[in-house]
Amino acid sequence: MHRKQTMLLLYLLLTSLCLLSEAWAGRDKTYQRTLENYEVPDVTLINQDGVKVSLRKLLFSDKPVLVDFVYTSCTTICPVLSINFANYQKTIIEERGATQLVSISIDPEFDTPKAMKAYLKRYNAEPGWDFLTGSRDDISRVLKAFKVYTQNKMNHYPVILLKSPSDTRWVRVYGLIGTSELLVEYEKVRK
Amino acid sequence: MSMKAAGTRVLTAALLACAFHGTVMAETSRQGMVAGVSREEALRLGERMYREGILPSGEPLKAIVKGDIPMTGNQFTCANCHQRSGFGSLEGTVRTPPINSAQLYAPLSKFKGVPVSRRSALVRETELYRPAYTDETLARAMRTGLDPAGRQMSTTMPIYFLSDRDMDILVFYLKNLSTGSEAGVTDTALRFATVITGEVSTADREAMLAPLQYYISNWRISRQMEQSARAGGFVQEGEARELRRLSLSVWELKGPAETWRAQLEEYYRKEPVFALLGGITTGEWAPVHKFCEDHKVPAIFPITDFPVISGSGGPTFYLSKGLYQEGEAAARFLHRKEDLLKEIPILQVFRNDRAGRILSKAFEETWTSLGHAAPENRVLAGGEAPAADFWKKLDEKSKHRVVLLWLDSSSFPALENLARSRSLPDVVVLSSSLLGNRLYSLPDKQRQSVYLTYPYSLPQDSRAYKANIETALKKNNIPITNPDITFKMYSLFSMLTGPLSRMRTYVYRDYFIELLEATPDLSVIPVTYPRLSFGTGQRYASKGCYIVQLTDGPRPELVKRSEWIIQ
Repeated sequence: MHRKQTMLLLYLLLTSLCLLSEAWAGRDKTYQRTLENYEVPDVTLINQDGVKVSLRKLLFSDKPVLVDFVYTSCTTICPVLSINFANYQKTIIEERGATQLVSISIDPEFDTPKAMKAYLKRYNAEPGWDFLTGSRDDISRVLKAFKVYTQNKMNHYPVILLKSPSDTRWVRVYGLIGTSELLVEYEKVRK
Repeated sequence: MSMKAAGTRVLTAALLACAFHGTVMAETSRQGMVAGVSREEALRLGERMYREGILPSGEPLKAIVKGDIPMTGNQFTCANCHQRSGFGSLEGTVRTPPINSAQLYAPLSKFKGVPVSRRSALVRETELYRPAYTDETLARAMRTGLDPAGRQMSTTMPIYFLSDRDMDILVFYLKNLSTGSEAGVTDTALRFATVITGEVSTADREAMLAPLQYYISNWRISRQMEQSARAGGFVQEGEARELRRLSLSVWELKGPAETWRAQLEEYYRKEPVFALLGGITTGEWAPVHKFCEDHKVPAIFPITDFPVISGSGGPTFYLSKGLYQEGEAAARFLHRKEDLLKEIPILQVFRNDRAGRILSKAFEETWTSLGHAAPENRVLAGGEAPAADFWKKLDEKSKHRVVLLWLDSSSFPALENLARSRSLPDVVVLSSSLLGNRLYSLPDKQRQSVYLTYPYSLPQDSRAYKANIETALKKNNIPITNPDITFKMYSLFSMLTGPLSRMRTYVYRDYFIELLEATPDLSVIPVTYPRLSFGTGQRYASKGCYIVQLTDGPRPELVKRSEWIIQ
């Protein structure tokens, strides 16, 4: 009897904890998470050092990859996305270089390698975070492929994409998130 | 009267009293000071915190964003999201609310976030979203993220670590943000000016001025809005004074450029203006640029080949970087022609005049920044034409396989000589802006090796649009004395109409500039340029330049040899 009561108590405790944590997650979850399949176009973009980069090679390496879409003269969305990338890099410092971070410019006309390099410096970016620009056509193809294309750059989306090297699918996080939320998503992708 | 209704009334009265109290408090404390700091100093220090993220100590501000991300003021600032004016921003689905003084220190209703104190009686009774901020609740909001109603704000708004004194300074700054009145603005009128320098031909002057005057005198707000306002109906805050009439003064600058500043000051003293629109010079715009910077006067799309090249985001917005953009594009194009360039020496030939200096400087700056050795420069004196044996001598040296000839159409015979020389360089780069229509008569033999910088929409892409605009202008009896200039003015109007409409009663220069910066990219009608776009701090609307070649035959067309943007 005593044992049964303990089990019941434990069960109730666990259930309420689960409910609580769900309620907590529900209350705090300010973003949407979906699984997506994208056909990444075979384009060559230019990084912050002016070096040509094959987008497919960069995205399909043996590392987990995080991608966002920003521009250097952006007001709100990009600084918050970028400060999160910066903090993420600091947080996983023991695994430096284990993740590839990629920011893709949605304003290729203004975002020259020089401007992108200054932007990365402002966020104290470590190696392993690349900022890519390119021709208007190539950038549009990339944005359309990842379903983040908007005709007006000011209407862009707060999106981070995550992918494990062992999975063909992408996790799409829509909404501005904190680093702990990003780490949770990252851990899920790594598994 | 039901208890509920009575309760609502009492509550409303109390809230209105609060609103009134809040307004009075705001007015009083606006006069107040930060202890031990002069008003000017407090505003200067506050502006530096707000715009640059730097504390009075010189250290960057420190904050936490999204609940767990440490950030500093040199990464992004209050002004990033709320903008310099404090009127906020809208980016995709992310809205940053206004935090200018009038908005903060007034209660906010749930209806569209409009301050209650400024609403019509009908709407005044709607439920409050939050009461007016006080200095204390404003400080609490920045430290904890709680609004005056005790509601947790979005965590995209950082939580700041500020000492009491620094907080007092920032609060004082916000309390004074966008509160003054602007030059050239009255309740019924909004005054602009346009600057024309003395040496501009009558035809070019008219080509700039006639469409601008037409635009200003025909400026209308939407018929529906006007009717509603005139009928005394409900007018949302911000709309009523959109009925202001626009007016335009013409500021003619005479004599040498050194005297322009004094003339500008005198015009401005006599009739202060809100902003400069258009304008034209064949010389440098720098004196007008400096004047605008010093008086914080926005200047939109002056027509000049010689804009000031700067990354500092002042109040002048240019159509493009002018000739500088062509030199820059030439360098980027050659940099990407790896098959051609294995550190082959490059020769620039230019006159010692304004155009020659700018083109060669732009090329050299860009070329060396891309990691190449500086080009060799051959400078021709002012009126000097290349000597008859110039190309022959060049030929003998034959080490320059890439030659940039930044020469205008008066040097054209010399260019034809080049075609007759024994061996052409592999690549000859010319500026289409300098050559004008003469570029189409380049000898066939040269066309294989000649590349032209072309910072405009290609003629075949823009012809139909230009024809439509010409038809519209003729219909309205606007003379087209120089189509290139008239079409540039069309670009001005395309860019200007949105911000002018959206500014409504919030007629502040900073806000006007922010609305221009936030104007959607214009790429639908590629009249002069394929794309016009801005962003925060961006000051050159058209950023590209094609490198083109001519097709063979007597009626050559331009063929793209590069993207519009060459990275």
